[in-house]
Amino acid sequence: MTTTATELRFHREVYSGEAIDQAVKTWSNFAEFELSESDQHWIVKLTPKHEPAAARIIGEFGNYVLGLTVDRGGVQ
Amino acid sequence: MSEQSPISDIPEALVSAALTERSVSITLDAELYPLQAVYGASYVFLDRCYVFLDRPEPGRLRATLSAKQAVEEPEALRQLVGEFANELLSCAWRHQVTQDNRVAIETVTVQAIAGAMGEPSLDDLADFDFTDEALDDPLGIAQSWEEKHGRKTPAEAEGERGEEEASA
Repeated sequence: MTTTATELRFHREVYSGEAIDQAVKTWSNFAEFELSESDQHWIVKLTPKHEPAAARIIGEFGNYVLGLTVDRGGVQ
Repeated sequence: MSEQSPISDIPEALVSAALTERSVSITLDAELYPLQAVYGASYVFLDRCYVFLDRPEPGRLRATLSAKQAVEEPEALRQLVGEFANELLSCAWRHQVTQDNRVAIETVTVQAIAGAMGEPSLDDLADFDFTDEALDDPLGIAQSWEEKHGRKTPAEAEGERGEEEASA
């Protein structure tokens, strides 16, 4: 089953890049990821593998990245 | 794009709600609410909401809270953003107190750790390297005025005169 991709833009001054990398590894069982970046954002293109849980996967992934960023003490 | 609507009693410029997406955004002044405080408040809400942070413009932060459970009433979103704002204020104040008392906290912590380590043993003192210069003072800043400019004793004056004659 194919699901639509969602683009999440994490601001570099707010989110840690290492936290995003770690979160992508952890969540790779639940979604497919494409990573890119711009001057101000880490861009994560996320395609959930389970359509009924797509919104939950996207939201929980965002929370996970934020939690890891906070655990790291913020952006270094 | 969902329709944005204001929430009663809260300034429209600060907070907007999207009922169709059961989410609410709050825009913050980064000078009043430092990023560490926003982190702290967001962390508390991770179990109840999906929280996304952004910096829409320099000096501003935006937190978007999406309720995990279905929200039917605008009042529920209002309560959510109100609780978030209160938590944010609490975190900002605690952050400020921590900043103000940082030196005292560090001093007490260092003293506590040093006290817990106990006094050095005789072996530690015997192994201590006393030859290391404690202070490198090439400009003579640590010298007293008398040491630097005071009248010299006859012996010192004689010694300096001898050095000048030898160099000449």
